[in-house]
Amino acid sequence: MSEDRRAFFRALVRSAAGQPGAPPEETAPAAPPGLGDEEVERYSRQLVLPEWSEAAQLTLREASVLVVGAGALGSPVASYLAGAGVGRLGIVDDDTVELSNLHRQPLHFTPDLGAPKAESAAAKLRFLNPEVVVEPYQARFAPAMVEGADLVVDCSDSFATRYEVNAACCAARVALVEGGVVGLSGLVMAIRPGESACYRCAFPEPPPPGAAPTCAEAGVLGPAAGVIGSLQALEALKLLAGLDGALLGAFLQVDLHDHGFLRVSVTRRADCPDCATL
Amino acid sequence: MAVQTLDVTDVTCPLTWVRTKLALERLAPGDELTVSCAPGEALENVPRSAAEAGHDVAVEGTLVRIVRR
Repeated sequence: MSEDRRAFFRALVRSAAGQPGAPPEETAPAAPPGLGDEEVERYSRQLVLPEWSEAAQLTLREASVLVVGAGALGSPVASYLAGAGVGRLGIVDDDTVELSNLHRQPLHFTPDLGAPKAESAAAKLRFLNPEVVVEPYQARFAPAMVEGADLVVDCSDSFATRYEVNAACCAARVALVEGGVVGLSGLVMAIRPGESACYRCAFPEPPPPGAAPTCAEAGVLGPAAGVIGSLQALEALKLLAGLDGALLGAFLQVDLHDHGFLRVSVTRRADCPDCATL
Repeated sequence: MAVQTLDVTDVTCPLTWVRTKLALERLAPGDELTVSCAPGEALENVPRSAAEAGHDVAVEGTLVRIVRR
C-alpha cells in the first residue's frame, strides 16, 4: 500500500477515533500488475466501451474514494463505484437505519433497522464486489478524512456538511463530486479544486435557515435520488479515469417532474474563501 | 513490427472482443494481433468491432489479423 494510501486511512482512523465500530487499519493484499481473468470478466461490460480501457480499470483499482453519507445518494454512488471496481471505498455516516429510509436507500434492508448505516452499506458492498476494500466509519464527516483520498463524493443531506466537505476538499486539493436532491429535483457538480469552480463559487452562501427544506423535511421520491446518485457516480468515474465530459466548471440542475436537465456554467470566484488562493 | 497471437475460442461475446481489445491496447501502433476465433458470432463480431475501432482488419479462415492503428 502506498504511503498516501496509508496516510488516508490513518487520517480516517484518527477522525473516527472514539466512535464505536471504527475498524483497525486494513492492509489490502498486493494486487497483480495487470487485470486478472476474473477482473476482465467482472468488468467486461465497461472494458468493452471505446471510452474505457485496461489502464482506466487499473487506475480505478488503485483509487481511494470517500463517500460521505450512506443514504439516498450514497447508496447508488457506493454501489456503482464498488461495482465498477474502485479499489478502496470509505463510507462515512453516523446515522442508523430507520424504517422511513428504506424507500430511497437501496443499500439498506428491513432486517438492518437500527444498524449503523456505514456498516450496513459496507456489508452489501462487500457482497457486491469482494475485490473492493470497504472501510465503514460510523462518524460525522471531519476534514481530516479527505487526506489521501483521490476523490470524495458528497452524499450528505445538509448544506452545513456540503460546505464543510467542499472546504476540506479545496484545502487538500482533492477532487469532489457534489450532489443534492429534494422532491423530484436535484443538482450535480464535479469539482477539481484550483482548476474549476468549487461548490462555494457556485453557491457562495447557504440558503437562510428555513428557506431550503432538507430531504428529511421535504420528502423525496426514491428514484429521483437514484438518478442524482447515479449521475454523481458517473461523474466520479469520469474524473477518476480521466474521461472527457466531466461536469467541471458547471453544475447540472435536474428537474424530474418534466425531465428538464439544465447545465449552468460557473466560473471561479476571485473572492471565494475556499478556493481563491489555490 | 511485432506480431502477437490471441486465442478467444474458449470465450463468448462480449469477452471475445474485450480480450482482443485489451491485447490491442498493449501493442504499439502498427503492431499486429492475430486472433483465433470460433466460427459464428466471434468470427463475425471481432473483425467488425476491430474495424469500428479504426484498426486495419483482414480475415483468413478463422484467423483475424488486426493491425493496431
